[in-house]
Amino acid sequence: MIIKSSTDEIQNYLVDASNFRGYCDAIYIPSGTMEVMNILKEANNKKQKVTVAGNGTGLTGGRVPQGGIVLSTEKMKNIIEINSEHKFAVVEPAVILKDFQDKVREYNLLYPPDPTEGNCFIGGTIATNASGEKTFKYGSTRVYVNKLEIVLADGDLLKLERGRSISEEYKLNLKTESGKEYRIEIPVIDMPLTKNAAGYYCKKNMDAIDLFVGSEGTLGVIIKAELKLVPYPEKIISCIIFFNNEKDGLNFVFDARDKSYRTRNKKSTANIDALALEFLDENSLNFIKEDYPQIPANVKAAVWFEQEVNSSNEEILLEQWMQLINLHNGDEESAWFAANEKEKKNLEEFRYKIALKVTDYLAQYNVNKLGTDMAVPNERFNEFYYFCTEEMKKNKFNYVAYGHFGNSHLHLNLLPRNESEYEKGKIIYKGIYTKAIELGGTVSAEHGIGKIKTDYLLEMYGEKVLREMAKIKKQLDPNLILGYGNIFKESFLK
Amino acid sequence: MNIAVCVSHVPDTATKIKIGDDNKTINKAGVTYIINPYDEFAVEEALTWKEKAGGDSKITILSVGGDSNKETIRKALAMGADDGILLKDDNPRDSMGIAKALSKEIKSHKFDVVFCGKQSVDYDAGAVPQMLAEFLDYSCATVVVALKMDGNKIIAEREVEGGREVVELELPAVIGAQKGLNEPRYASLKGIMSAKKKTIEEKPAAQAENLSEIIKMYSPPAKQSGRILGTDASAVPELVRLLREEAKVI
Repeated sequence: MIIKSSTDEIQNYLVDASNFRGYCDAIYIPSGTMEVMNILKEANNKKQKVTVAGNGTGLTGGRVPQGGIVLSTEKMKNIIEINSEHKFAVVEPAVILKDFQDKVREYNLLYPPDPTEGNCFIGGTIATNASGEKTFKYGSTRVYVNKLEIVLADGDLLKLERGRSISEEYKLNLKTESGKEYRIEIPVIDMPLTKNAAGYYCKKNMDAIDLFVGSEGTLGVIIKAELKLVPYPEKIISCIIFFNNEKDGLNFVFDARDKSYRTRNKKSTANIDALALEFLDENSLNFIKEDYPQIPANVKAAVWFEQEVNSSNEEILLEQWMQLINLHNGDEESAWFAANEKEKKNLEEFRYKIALKVTDYLAQYNVNKLGTDMAVPNERFNEFYYFCTEEMKKNKFNYVAYGHFGNSHLHLNLLPRNESEYEKGKIIYKGIYTKAIELGGTVSAEHGIGKIKTDYLLEMYGEKVLREMAKIKKQLDPNLILGYGNIFKESFLK
Repeated sequence: MNIAVCVSHVPDTATKIKIGDDNKTINKAGVTYIINPYDEFAVEEALTWKEKAGGDSKITILSVGGDSNKETIRKALAMGADDGILLKDDNPRDSMGIAKALSKEIKSHKFDVVFCGKQSVDYDAGAVPQMLAEFLDYSCATVVVALKMDGNKIIAEREVEGGREVVELELPAVIGAQKGLNEPRYASLKGIMSAKKKTIEEKPAAQAENLSEIIKMYSPPAKQSGRILGTDASAVPELVRLLREEAKVI
């Protein structure tokens, strides 16, 4: 085990990609299960805070410590098994997602969860139930977690397998490897009907594994996971279309979304069924224009889509997409179409560039991230989008709006240039998340709550539900050592 | 204006290359192929020239190799080229063999200009454009980063060691494109669809003997892992000493 405590060495662990900063006494870097158990046992005895750290790519300060120690999983980075017959892989938490995806590709398999940032640790993606562009078709990380091994706050080991421990209505029993039993009351709530990464997963007759997926390092430390893989598609087409009118771009997305759902319901393979359906507004395009001078002049929006095809349906699908583009006045001549794997990657990078530029911007002006991660039910999304952009225009605030519009999920990033603008932005932001809640949406669809969105979660679920969620936390971690500050404000843990 | 572009079908630059069991070829399993990146600049330049020249200008894509090269020809057609010709030979050819096959075909057309990438990224010989110009008796400029038409003349800027060289050529000419010449466009959806419908003419590549032979192919030595000399300021003197005495970089 490595322990780091000098100021130089621990700097990198005190921040994440949201630019949220913290402090701690030391960084513990265990190399295996036993060491993780020992660290937690000792910390639990001393009632010392332990913040679990992945690769620092998060956007909500989840891995940023507020005192105590950091447990960095970075040395636990083995891919233990890839089973192509039964299509699963067993990994340690610090396997880098992008490397893992490349590795399983060699077996002609695909690991679908694909948050825009590929340098994240898989452990982090499970802890936050990460999703991304391809969630529109494949669903979020949760769907792909078959088994988990978790070290609990007292150092005890918990092994979970999907389908093996289901709650009886709202009562969930857990049994650890040492034989200790927990009887957990799941709060009775209606989770939003959107993709969601806000607070604990709570549902009638739920699987225990789902409580831990998305629990943001507050219930235990993931040390091993078995993940479901799927066959790699024969071919994926990828295209970016530019629109001279924002409304046309939005309508194109909505139409493609509805068509995709219909195709899935019919289980048809020869109709439009997008893998990814992403939107970038005019500000976003201007924001990356210097990196992509080929962006046509005067465009107001761009949409990126991908779809799985095979040799027998490719032509018919291209034809259908072209009709849809024409129907919504998309500029077919200027559209970028990936003709091979390399160009497909280029288009992915194009979409990713905007997120990277926002992160650079925050660092340059030394302000914290103020970006929405809200999703609302599909039928309310149009209303939500216009509400948000009008708010920004009304307040004359710089912003970029883009995101997973196929999932009715908006990343609107406010771009403050200093602390006073940041404070002003926070007020606008509050109006936006209040609207999302009012429309039946979630305050966090994929980034999680971390430390910077605890207020919004409270607004979304209310005090009673949050206290019930906190009760689960207190049962599994009575000394409140794990993930201090994540999901719950301190007052809810007393 | 009648324009030819010669394209090469090469492993994706992101592919991890594994040497085959014969130690003379690469293991093609799992390797995806793309149009040679330098050839994309050549195609883009041809498209720009065609757009400028207007009228009944035409771009013909030529490639020497097996059936899979059609994929790369189609990619160039999707970008906007008009015709494609595959000069078929399933056996590997060296630069001379390729240049001979291309020159024979090009002679039977009346091309004003032939664009190539300055080299292809698989074998990196960088010899085909020059050989081609010689066989055709065309003027030639390679490693070209800027091009201008001036009547029947071309002004080309070439990247040379430490600077740029400006040369004047007469048409017909062979141009070897270097990165920086332009920004290749993506194929449009319409381009992709019409490229699918176009037929690619297939002809046997003219016979030519290879003049070089690959004796052995091997991977470069693995990069050695770094050394950690220490984790605080006390390690600096040793680091400076090693940089000076061992790495000899300061």
